[in-house]
Amino acid sequence: MSVAITPVMLGQVVVSGILAGSLYALVALGLALIFGVMRVINIAHGPLLMLGAYTTYFLTTGLGLNPFLTLPVSMTLMFLVGALLQRTLVFRVVDAPELSSLLLTFGISIALVNLAQLLFTSDLRAVEYITGAWVVGPLAFSKSRVIAFGFAAAVTALAFLFLQKTRLGKAIRATSQSREVAMVCGIDVQRVHLITFGLASALAAAGGSLLAVIVAIQPEMGQVWTFKSFLVIVLGGAGNYPGALLGGLLLGLVEQLASLFLTTQLSEVVAYVLLVLVLLVRPTGLLGGRQV
Amino acid sequence: MSPAVAVRHPLSLRVGVAAGLAVLVAALALYPLVGSGYGVRSTLQVFAWIALAGSWNLISGLTGYVSFGHVAFFGIGAYTGAILITQHDWPWPLAAPAGGLAGAALALLIGWPCLRLKGPYFAIAMLGLNEVLRALVSYFEGLTGGGSGLSLPTLDATRPIYYAMGLLAALVVAVTYLIVTSRFGLRLMTIREDEVAAEAMGIDTFRHKLYAFLLSAVGPGVAGALTARDQGYIEPISVFPLATTVTMIVMVLFGGKGTVWGPVLGAVVLFVAQEMVWARYPYVHPMLFGAIIVAVVLVMPRGVLGLLQTRYRLPRTI
Repeated sequence: MSVAITPVMLGQVVVSGILAGSLYALVALGLALIFGVMRVINIAHGPLLMLGAYTTYFLTTGLGLNPFLTLPVSMTLMFLVGALLQRTLVFRVVDAPELSSLLLTFGISIALVNLAQLLFTSDLRAVEYITGAWVVGPLAFSKSRVIAFGFAAAVTALAFLFLQKTRLGKAIRATSQSREVAMVCGIDVQRVHLITFGLASALAAAGGSLLAVIVAIQPEMGQVWTFKSFLVIVLGGAGNYPGALLGGLLLGLVEQLASLFLTTQLSEVVAYVLLVLVLLVRPTGLLGGRQV
Repeated sequence: MSPAVAVRHPLSLRVGVAAGLAVLVAALALYPLVGSGYGVRSTLQVFAWIALAGSWNLISGLTGYVSFGHVAFFGIGAYTGAILITQHDWPWPLAAPAGGLAGAALALLIGWPCLRLKGPYFAIAMLGLNEVLRALVSYFEGLTGGGSGLSLPTLDATRPIYYAMGLLAALVVAVTYLIVTSRFGLRLMTIREDEVAAEAMGIDTFRHKLYAFLLSAVGPGVAGALTARDQGYIEPISVFPLATTVTMIVMVLFGGKGTVWGPVLGAVVLFVAQEMVWARYPYVHPMLFGAIIVAVVLVMPRGVLGLLQTRYRLPRTI
């Protein structure tokens, strides 16, 4: 298979890669937050994204809302679901060996997917909003993806602003650096855990709501996002929140670049090979950071 | 914690256990001569689940490294077996060990980069593996038949496959017993309890984890090849279902992870429960399994057998 790569094709790869990568970065930031603060990899992160996508679907088709305006609703809803999961189940395994937290969130993930299958059936659903693309010179910008990119960038920026500027955000970062010291400084660590889990779930939900206008919605759409979010964290360096942004964009670019040479069928294989290569060559991530 | 040295139990107890096992093996060996088709088929499936759950226990129960994609080895074994049988005319008793080798080869490929590191890298890599294999199987259509699957030549071999699968299940249990009672097993359990301490004691943790992982991939590979021969038809969805991994995990957690007989107990109890009760409610099946995982992790982390071991001071080798 020989393809002549033109500069225009590369330009298109960069455009599509950044558009897709913004969503990876947004969703992965949530997973990175929970991991940074609690040392828990939340396997149910992807299924929470799926629930966010369904929230948007039902609000759009049921109430006729603009899908992008459903973002605050799905984020609030999943914040509550996430906080509830933390409050009832996850907090019990935060200090346990990682086997426990992995298995527990895995169990939650299976239950959530099955719940969605029962409530919403396995039919593929789509939110019809904007189709088509803006054409600038030789490059095409998919309209829905451009708008999703704008919202993803805005939500991610807000999340960073929150982490950087507010007292609560500082408490979250402090807990992530050292739980003991944070506790000594008078930070209510349990509350920080609760809010972190809620916030992370809200970020997953935002990703799901934005995806709702781009891809088909179905109960099993989320699981691959747990995997890809983890890959993004590994790329950027665990515990390094800006690294998640870089990792997300990088994953988007690599997947798009690979699509020039391979069928899209193999895009997951590309992501997987990338993970294995990074683990072999530079397990602390490209920007450096802690090992998971 | 259970004592590290094997406690010697009264001779009568050991003779009793050995006699009981001998009777059980004899009964299972004679069963196909008298049993109904359905009974033989169900027992065959129980054997397969014992082999699968026991294999998951070897890596995840003993070292604490969770494999979320163990069905991948079952699937690759099934495809290896099916391809060798259909395209190279191998007899199935040869194709089955080849399936086990294929499983071990895949485990080497994944374990080499992922088991060097601590923490959840391995778990997530295994979580992604399934999707990758499914995509690859669909991509290499010429070899695997793609989405339309592979049909094996018709052959009525339920009875010999029953014995082969029974032998496999017995081997997995025997290997687990040998490991749990060996220094190798003690080292694996040290890694599970505290990997840093294990390293400080001079254990080559990477090598030990890798060996356990390779061993844990052989059983599912053989079981996959045998299942492919038994069912006569395989396709990506039928041999790479996430549900199979979930079932293995539930069986081991329920029975007692890191024990010899826990996976067997879990496989038998959950298979019977599945056939008798839950088959009527297929839609809530995954939710039930998810709930069992959550409940066992929170309430009974050592499983039924672990609970009995601590309560009645039973030997660790049970």
